[in-house]
Amino acid sequence: MVITPVHYIVAPLLAAFAIPLLSKIYKDAARVVPGIVLFYNMIISFVLMRQVLKHGMINEIIAGWQPPWGINLVLTPFTGFLAAMVSVMGFIIWLYGFRFKRTLKGGVVKYYEILQMMMIAGSIGVIITGDLFNMFVFIEIVGITAYSLTAFYRDRNGAEAGFKYLLLGSLASVFLLLAILLIYTQTGTLNMAQIAERMPEVSSGIKITALIFFLIALGIEAEMFPLNGWTPDAYEQAPSPTSATFAAVVSIAGIYALVRVLFTLFDVSGVHQYLIVMGFITMLVAEIAAISQKNLKRMLAYSSIGQVGLVLIAFGIGSQLAVFGALFLMLNHAVIKSLLFMTGSYFIYNSGEKRLEGLNGMHKRLPYVSALFSLAAFAIIGFPPFSGFWSKFYILIAASDQKMIFLIIGILLVTIIELVYYLRLVGRIYFAKEEMQDIAHKPSVNALVAMSFLALFIILIGIYPDIITGYINQAAAALLDKTHYIQQILANK
Amino acid sequence: MEGIGLKIFGAFLTAILAFTVGMFYGGLRRKITARVQNRVGPPVYQNFIDLMKLQGKQTNIAHGFMGHMAPMWIIIAAMTVLMFIPILHNGLWFDNLTFKGDLIFILYMMVFGSLGMALGAGQSGNPNSAIGVTRGLSLMVGYEIPFVLSLVAIMIQFHTTSLQDLMNYQYQTGRWIILDNPFAFLAALMSSLGMFRYSPFDIVGAPAELASGPVSEFGGKYLGTMMTGGSVFAFIKLVLIVDIFLGGAGNVHMSGLAGTLIGLGELLLKTFLLYMIPVFIGLVSPRFRTEQAIRFFWKWPTFFGILAVIWAVLHPVGS
Amino acid sequence: MNPIINILLVLFAGSILAFGIDSINRKWTGWVAFLSVLLATFNLLSQTQASDVVFSLGGIRLKWGLSSLRLYFTYIIIILNLLAFLYSIDYMKGKARLGYFYSAFLLTVLGMFGVVISKDFVSFFIFWEIMTWSSFLLIIYNAYYKIKTEGLKYMIFSAIGAYAMLTAIVFVYHFYGTFDIATAIDQGVFSFENHIYIPLFFALAFAIKAAIMPFHIWAPSAYADSPMSFTSVFSGAMSKMGIFGLLLVLSTYYALHNPQAYIFTQILAWLGGITAAMATIYALIQTDAKRLLAYSSISQLGYIVVALSTGTKLGVMAALYLAVLHAVFKGALFMVAGAVEKQAGTTDMTKISGLIRKMPWTFFVALVSVIALTGIPPVGGFVGKWLLYEALITESNNYFLVIVIFFSSTAAFLYAYRFLFGLFLGQEEKETENVKEAPVKMLIPMLILALISIVTGIMPGLIFKPAAAAMREIGFENVNWEMTSLSNVWGNQTDLSLIGLFIAAVFVLIFIFLTFKGKKNTRYVGTKDISSSGELWKEGENWTFQQDFYKPFERAAAPLYKYKMNKIWEDFGNALEAFFNFFRRIYTGNGQTYALYVIGFLVLLLLFKDYIFR
Repeated sequence: MVITPVHYIVAPLLAAFAIPLLSKIYKDAARVVPGIVLFYNMIISFVLMRQVLKHGMINEIIAGWQPPWGINLVLTPFTGFLAAMVSVMGFIIWLYGFRFKRTLKGGVVKYYEILQMMMIAGSIGVIITGDLFNMFVFIEIVGITAYSLTAFYRDRNGAEAGFKYLLLGSLASVFLLLAILLIYTQTGTLNMAQIAERMPEVSSGIKITALIFFLIALGIEAEMFPLNGWTPDAYEQAPSPTSATFAAVVSIAGIYALVRVLFTLFDVSGVHQYLIVMGFITMLVAEIAAISQKNLKRMLAYSSIGQVGLVLIAFGIGSQLAVFGALFLMLNHAVIKSLLFMTGSYFIYNSGEKRLEGLNGMHKRLPYVSALFSLAAFAIIGFPPFSGFWSKFYILIAASDQKMIFLIIGILLVTIIELVYYLRLVGRIYFAKEEMQDIAHKPSVNALVAMSFLALFIILIGIYPDIITGYINQAAAALLDKTHYIQQILANK
Repeated sequence: MEGIGLKIFGAFLTAILAFTVGMFYGGLRRKITARVQNRVGPPVYQNFIDLMKLQGKQTNIAHGFMGHMAPMWIIIAAMTVLMFIPILHNGLWFDNLTFKGDLIFILYMMVFGSLGMALGAGQSGNPNSAIGVTRGLSLMVGYEIPFVLSLVAIMIQFHTTSLQDLMNYQYQTGRWIILDNPFAFLAALMSSLGMFRYSPFDIVGAPAELASGPVSEFGGKYLGTMMTGGSVFAFIKLVLIVDIFLGGAGNVHMSGLAGTLIGLGELLLKTFLLYMIPVFIGLVSPRFRTEQAIRFFWKWPTFFGILAVIWAVLHPVGS
Repeated sequence: MNPIINILLVLFAGSILAFGIDSINRKWTGWVAFLSVLLATFNLLSQTQASDVVFSLGGIRLKWGLSSLRLYFTYIIIILNLLAFLYSIDYMKGKARLGYFYSAFLLTVLGMFGVVISKDFVSFFIFWEIMTWSSFLLIIYNAYYKIKTEGLKYMIFSAIGAYAMLTAIVFVYHFYGTFDIATAIDQGVFSFENHIYIPLFFALAFAIKAAIMPFHIWAPSAYADSPMSFTSVFSGAMSKMGIFGLLLVLSTYYALHNPQAYIFTQILAWLGGITAAMATIYALIQTDAKRLLAYSSISQLGYIVVALSTGTKLGVMAALYLAVLHAVFKGALFMVAGAVEKQAGTTDMTKISGLIRKMPWTFFVALVSVIALTGIPPVGGFVGKWLLYEALITESNNYFLVIVIFFSSTAAFLYAYRFLFGLFLGQEEKETENVKEAPVKMLIPMLILALISIVTGIMPGLIFKPAAAAMREIGFENVNWEMTSLSNVWGNQTDLSLIGLFIAAVFVLIFIFLTFKGKKNTRYVGTKDISSSGELWKEGENWTFQQDFYKPFERAAAPLYKYKMNKIWEDFGNALEAFFNFFRRIYTGNGQTYALYVIGFLVLLLLFKDYIFR
């Protein structure tokens, strides 16, 4: 069997339909099968990445229907890298959440892993599709699964958060659809390469209007301020593995969509400045909000938004090095933030409360998890020698190349805010007085393995970043080389 | 070897001189004070008698290690400083080690004794001792500022940190440094009032009211040794100012014993006159509180000190 | 193998091993840590000539190596650490989280060592940060409630410094295309001709680490609240990293005399002077011995910065000399405070006193170190003071700075006496009845440090020799030094060996006289047996004089106490927090508002689209 990008999509879809049947035979199918699928995705992402790096871009046309009518899946070093990242994270999060809530009874619980799997598959779809409408569809898949996962605990708060997400998500859909419509009427195609090719002919008024619709719609998905009102609630109310998925997978897909549209489709100037300014505002507001949070998961959610802001800034700078830094940061964010959510989840599980007081003196109960949490906190602040440092460092170098001294100072000042609240958390874990008597809920083996893997990654990359920089470099180059992308896809036609 | 023998002899001679003169001046002060207060007063040699009595006494009480060390430190500091100060310009036996140490060294060495004293007094456990020490140290911060200002002024004006060089300059030109930098002299003189700790700066010991503190905790050999050290220090302070500002002593161009004796006479005269200033000021002044004293030193003397530094920068003499 | 790699590996392995072994046998943790520093020391001493280590990481060329300047600071770090680790074994006995402590401690040492050996800015920054966060872990070791205020204060200031440095580093790369420190300096990266903010940012980072006013406010608590065995390193060696960095920055100006650089050094010198003076007057009103030492430490660092800023031969020599000596005596003093804390349970001077007979050896170390601190001959501190004054008076024309410095070193007598009196002298109270002398493993390092203080007082040449070599590296040719005497540019001389000899001779004479004269009947009496103007001591009465020790001085210097940097920073922080709290209400938590944001933002974009996009 030849492995092609379509496997990314087909396997989860098939599994999603098969699982209800299989559960008749094997009770745990709903939990095990998604893991197998995600593992398979991970494997093929490695295989495909290898292939892409060796032979160049893969452009798979589904069922022989040529663009613009058909659907095509594109795997460049850029999308391949992101797809690999997302699928690896997907599998690790599954591994972590394998025994999650297995004792809980109820409707949604049964389908939890399926939804989770579909969310990850949808995200991969967003990343690898070469077709605008198809992207919309995948974004909807991600959205719908995400809404239902947000409302997983069917209580008041969960429902409210899910509803907020739904509200903004549907706004995003509306505007996305509007934008796609505008583009389609002007260019007569939905294939991104073709749109990009024909874009110069579109009148600038319509082009910019479409761009603004895209910015609004994808800004919501990418958690850009002031469109990210759903984020803190969703991250807080969703079950922790889902929160980790939001950070490690969904937000990555959102950023990807935004960047792909802005970088490949449009040739409008001012976009970069827009990204830098909005990215900075996003980051600043998020970190300011984070520092005064009283709830652990909300704090982490705001911190995620902050990271996204930095990623947007880096994309806004737009040089090869900056995009390199942005991708590196996306990777770090995915790894570190999901580790934070994973470990944080155990703190909440143990103390039974989401407020920060629940962390007090946790190291006595969960020494290993506490150490991992501290490690992740240090990494996300950007202390060397952990991986977070390098991404920040490259972004700063890229900014210095553009002489953006105030941007650099701004980023670093915001980092200080970040440092304050993360270190407060670490201090709480290690040095606060605790008042608990009951037995600790020790993490299960699979969760430990997942978390240790992420921690190992943080340290390894931190000490020797060369493991990964080669890939990221090629990915960054692939994103920036727009003409190559267009030519390759159109030549394949 | 003969050189070293002579040196040691000279050193002993210097020490005896400093001791005798210091004790004698102390006695003189007591007598003068008494006469001014319309008393008969003790004889001038009363201090010698006191000392002999103290050393002859059996010491029964000791206050631990630091209590044992304190008098020792005072003597060490006094002797060391004495050796590094030129007593006479052409002094046959009074040169000692003057070329081997400079003003900054002398400045710091002078504190050594007070610190030892403070530590000794501290170990006795007498709260009054500690109170006295805090007052003394605080006062020191007061008077050291103008004193150092004046010394710094002299150092930069004459481009030397050596006392001997300063004396040589005055000897060669015949011009006292008080004329070259009068402000420095004023500052040094005013701060020397604090160094002597006579009224109005006698709050440290508070001699009239408190019959407690170091003086009562130390007895016999300890008190005697401390008294010796104190006397030598009084002499040192006087000689220091005479050497720097008042042309030093031994400026007569005569060699041999006669020259030395005349030089000694000159020294005694100058130091005596200088000594009378704090003594008489002390007689007519009431006592300052510690903070008042410190404030006083930070006002006029410091002002003169700053003037002295500016003066020195404007009128460099240099060598 | 290259000793640099060896040392880094040994320290790193020690750090991990200590963490692991703590859960197996707590007795071994300290020994493992000590052993790893010992191995590092052997590595350093066996091969002082190391070739540079060059390799590429993340596309950046990193370079590690030793040179005479670096070696000089390496000695300070490694030797002080060796003693501190030996001291730690007993000091930390019976405390919780030993693995955590030693592991972070070794990482700190690794960070410090790394900073010194880094020959490129990136590894410099990396090690700098490792040093910072691992030391943060140690600061918060003692108490949680501190982390919110003191620990964070340290971390925030360190981060401001580190990020200022990072900004400067990326711009160095942008303008000069290199991360190599030597190359960048050769190209004039720190000269004020262009890109003035690069040296300023670097200087900011180093000034913060060296606790120079107005960036010092983290220091008192950070020094006082850490475990003392770490503080001796923290104040003794880690603050020297700031000095090391300043030396790198300033070395450009030593050769170069442009007016901006002159102004810069003058400002730095005055900052140092003010630091020295203000920290001193705050030191003398402290009632906790640890805090007193912490302030004293800040003021000592002020001297070093002043000395550095003069940029003259004697000045830089003074700075280098004081750097060592400060490490020696302040390291010893913090160890003394630690020993007292360990044995008596507290270092609050209002609670304990009269320990001299209980802990004579500790007192001896404290005495020698205090003498070194105040700069009284014949102990090593005098040499440093002498160099400093002579540099200021004879080689630089900062005459009024001399007064500021002299004021602070005179006032230093006050707190020095306060420290000795507060802990060791005065009344022997009931609370300290059962206090014993510190264990031998704690005494040995302290005694070694005291010995160094004494020896350098007579033979400062031992330090001058490597210091002169280090100075040659930053552009001072022909540094004159002698083993046992000091001389300034005016040709005046101070002969230390003679002074030492003389003092020793007088000491022996007087000692014999005082000790053996009527020794037979002399007996020790307790501190209650004193003359007290007729009052008698009654049971339970407290005769300890510890409160408001220097009240008269406080009253006299009242205007100086008015300005509190701490308060300004705190107000600033509170205002910021209030602002943040207000600002975060943007996230109302209301779905409608969020939807409104989206629509509003859309309208905004559409309205201003012509200005934003083209």
